[in-house]
Amino acid sequence: MTPAQRKRLPIRFALYALLALLSAIFIFPFLFMLASSLKGNDAIFADVESLRAVLPVGDLTLDNYSAVFQRGNIGHFLINSVIITVVTVALGLFVNSLAAYALARLEWRGKQAALVVLVVLLAVPLEAISVPMMLLVTKLPGLDFSEGIALTRSWLDTIYVQIIPFIANAFSIFLFYQFFRDIPKDFDEAAYIDGATPFQVYRHVIVPSSIPVFATVTILQGLAMWNQYLWPVITVPGEEARPLMIGMQQFFAARRVEWGEVMAYASVITVPILLAFIFFQRWFVRSVVGSGVKG
Amino acid sequence: MSGAVARGGGTGRAAIWFGAPAFIGLAMFVLIPVLMSLALTFTNQRLVSPDPGEFVGTENYQRLLSVSYLVQSPERDAAGHIVTDSAGEPLYARARSITRTDPTFTGYRPMTEYRWGDKRVSILAKDPEFLRSLVNTFLFALLVVPLQCSAALLMALLVNAGLKGQTVFRGIFFSPVVMSMVIVSVVWAFLFDKDLGLFNTILSAVSFGAFQPVDWLGNAHTAMPALAIMSAWQGAGFQMLILLAGLQGISQELYDAAKIDGANAWQRFWNITVPGLRQTITFVLIVTTIAALGLFTQVDVMTQGGPQNATSTVMFQAIQRGVREENIAYGSTISIVYFGIITILILLQQAIQRRRARLNA
Amino acid sequence: MPATLELRDIRKEYGGTEIIKGVSLTVAPSEFLVLVGPSGCGKSTLLRMIAGLEDISSGDLYFDDQLVNDWDPAKRRIGMVFQSYALYPHMTVEQNIGFGLKLAKKPRAEREARVEEALRVLQLTALRHHKPSQLSGGQRQRVAIGRAIVRKPNAFLFDEPLSNLDAALRGQMRMEIGRLHQRLKNTVVYVTHDQVEAMTLADRIVVLEGGVIRQVGTPMELYERPSNRFVAGFIGTPTMGFLEARLAAADGAGISVSIGGGEASKRVRLPFAAPAQQGDAPLTLGIRPEHGRICPADQALVFGDVIMLERLGADTFAFLDVEGAEDTVAVRLPHDHEAIAPGTRLGLTFDPQHCHLFAADGQAVAKIQP
Repeated sequence: MTPAQRKRLPIRFALYALLALLSAIFIFPFLFMLASSLKGNDAIFADVESLRAVLPVGDLTLDNYSAVFQRGNIGHFLINSVIITVVTVALGLFVNSLAAYALARLEWRGKQAALVVLVVLLAVPLEAISVPMMLLVTKLPGLDFSEGIALTRSWLDTIYVQIIPFIANAFSIFLFYQFFRDIPKDFDEAAYIDGATPFQVYRHVIVPSSIPVFATVTILQGLAMWNQYLWPVITVPGEEARPLMIGMQQFFAARRVEWGEVMAYASVITVPILLAFIFFQRWFVRSVVGSGVKG
Repeated sequence: MSGAVARGGGTGRAAIWFGAPAFIGLAMFVLIPVLMSLALTFTNQRLVSPDPGEFVGTENYQRLLSVSYLVQSPERDAAGHIVTDSAGEPLYARARSITRTDPTFTGYRPMTEYRWGDKRVSILAKDPEFLRSLVNTFLFALLVVPLQCSAALLMALLVNAGLKGQTVFRGIFFSPVVMSMVIVSVVWAFLFDKDLGLFNTILSAVSFGAFQPVDWLGNAHTAMPALAIMSAWQGAGFQMLILLAGLQGISQELYDAAKIDGANAWQRFWNITVPGLRQTITFVLIVTTIAALGLFTQVDVMTQGGPQNATSTVMFQAIQRGVREENIAYGSTISIVYFGIITILILLQQAIQRRRARLNA
Repeated sequence: MPATLELRDIRKEYGGTEIIKGVSLTVAPSEFLVLVGPSGCGKSTLLRMIAGLEDISSGDLYFDDQLVNDWDPAKRRIGMVFQSYALYPHMTVEQNIGFGLKLAKKPRAEREARVEEALRVLQLTALRHHKPSQLSGGQRQRVAIGRAIVRKPNAFLFDEPLSNLDAALRGQMRMEIGRLHQRLKNTVVYVTHDQVEAMTLADRIVVLEGGVIRQVGTPMELYERPSNRFVAGFIGTPTMGFLEARLAAADGAGISVSIGGGEASKRVRLPFAAPAQQGDAPLTLGIRPEHGRICPADQALVFGDVIMLERLGADTFAFLDVEGAEDTVAVRLPHDHEAIAPGTRLGLTFDPQHCHLFAADGQAVAKIQP
């Protein structure tokens, strides 16, 4: 090691120490959650003063988990969340990318105005319109499937009230639009010369060249739909169509001091997401950067 | 794009079909609610009610935003001396009795009070809970934005420092972002628990027992800061990635040139890193502020606005009044005011960007 | 004051591989030394080690007899011009140039005077309040130079400064740099992959390949007496033509080699000493384009088909595919060459006094002086 490198060692050491400290701050809550989910209340209480609080050691039990599955109805809510997320994202990819294609590649009369409107809509946060949106959906005629098909008076308490309003998404359209604009027009023009229709150009030229932005939108929209809270809390009071996050909140409100059970519920929700994140970390990172840098 | 232009009509029609689903969706579920919301604010419509709402003009806005004040002199006894209470503080007539009887103060209720010399100034409002929530929301933003953004900057600098394992660290710092705020709220509610929570345990350990356990969420003074810490923890990773991208956009050659010019690490940071990040930092600050002003989920899950309205926020009030108390007109009014605040911030950001672009040109 | 730079057996190791393998070199005060070599030869790394931006793994670096291995870049008092100029984007031209002086806490009057002078010398006075984004490539280049000269450094380092410019601008900036050097008389170490730049600007050239010095010398020394095949092929444009030659006979006055392939091979007598090598490995005969000659078939030593013509106006070169040569062989054509087109088969000859010979290991073979 050269003297110059030796001189810098203490700095490197300090930096690593800082990184380790910060990492601990970010990891400890998870460990605490996982460890406590495996302990009964007595064990939690006993371990509280020591490092054992974050470690899954000692008197471990799976009772909390069985309570969650039995009492918490978590399986049903999980399925609801999956349906909501998958359907919204899948339809959204199609609808939003088509609209972005129309904006980026086709010429039509209202295009400039539509772009301006899009940018304005980008600034509208969901929170600001949730209340009036809720009134809107109570006035919309809905479908009740419990006995054949019947018209009901509102959309509340359904799966589709959590899906339909979110299929069209200004931010997704914007991301697609930015990406499509950067694809060289030569490909389009070659396809047109070969006799393709606009939809065929979309399908065979644009979409295959856009895998990264499709991945980005999938991840961002998927996460947003999976983690949704504000909207279902005001539009889905019942249990039938309840998504996972509301399930967690209800369970927490009901079983507040049963920390072991609450942590077990939280763990069941968290661990799959964490695993997905660990495997697809690069894609997650790219999505965030792609969405933020363009702003 | 000569081909498409030549086919004007054909692609024009296609465009309508392609864009229709998205734009109809956006119109229905974004545009119309905004317009509905605006209209509702001038009525007294309730959420479930057989009667249609009546037009009430700006009554909702008045009730929401009216602020006034009351100045009182201390009570004096027959001899003209100031009457004091058991603690030695001057006594004043009860503000409430004045607001209830005096016609200039109808509808007002006291919010807070200050001493001014020997006079007492009471701030009155027609909706003190809302104004309190407005103050709370801004307080939260004031706490969380510096905390979250400086943590993000620190982490971005560390990850970019070229040490080993930076991908792993980056992943660790970013992992809370993918968690739902509901989950984070639940776990941190546990962490903040007075007796079983890790927060108190660690603070005790680090201070060698000098630190007494605090009921973080149950104490009106600590509840908001606790929420701020938790929210910064959850969100810092997101801003970190954006700042990281900004850092990596700064050419290494600039740092080399500065080394040759004789700049030490601190000078390099101030003269190259900070100016190079200026735009990114502004973006991060604005985005974090806008997100902070929408605080709802954590409050709804952890504290439900308490203790004593200490964590009630604008959005929470909007949902509480508009949905839970079914006063949809009033809830919409709150939403519109919130929307207005956000819009001002965004316009501010754009003005800053335009000014900067002009300066650089 | 222009400094003497001395490198003694400098080595650089990175991740287990040795990038610089023992470079020793002395740069005299006011000398313009150019480091050339193909991509990846380590020239930029060497320059950065001289600057202090990279650690030296082993070996010693001296500035005027002072060991500077562990010195910070600023302490070494050097000026450096980077490939992308590295101008501070948010500072004006004036501020960019004066930044180093400001960091060194020079008194304001002195600072302003020096910046003023630099602006004048480089004709940047009118642009002093502009930001780098408002400048053209050539102007940015001059600001970068200004920033380097204003601190009156002991040595100037240039890292491929003209690579980002278009061809016309490159020629112009080359002249400006040359003129500046004549005026300021600094010690300069200049890195480039362009051998034309090297030939134009250098007092001496160092040819680097794979982390090792292949030859050091003045431009004409390298051109006329390359000490190995690599340098011979690197310096000079169009490239020297190489033919395979087999040793047939040797005596005190010279050797006899056979060139050309197969049945068409001819014997040529060359004024070189017999190379000391084992076995039958082929030698390489090198001919500069201006020393080759198109001739009728009966006089030709080898034959080749014309692949391409390079018309430079004053000269035209033909590139031939010759039997017994791995790459194309370039020949300068006489002025009445109208009939020659791609595909034509030409006879080629040369004067044995004006060729080069390399042994199988690439080393030049000593010429026997008449």
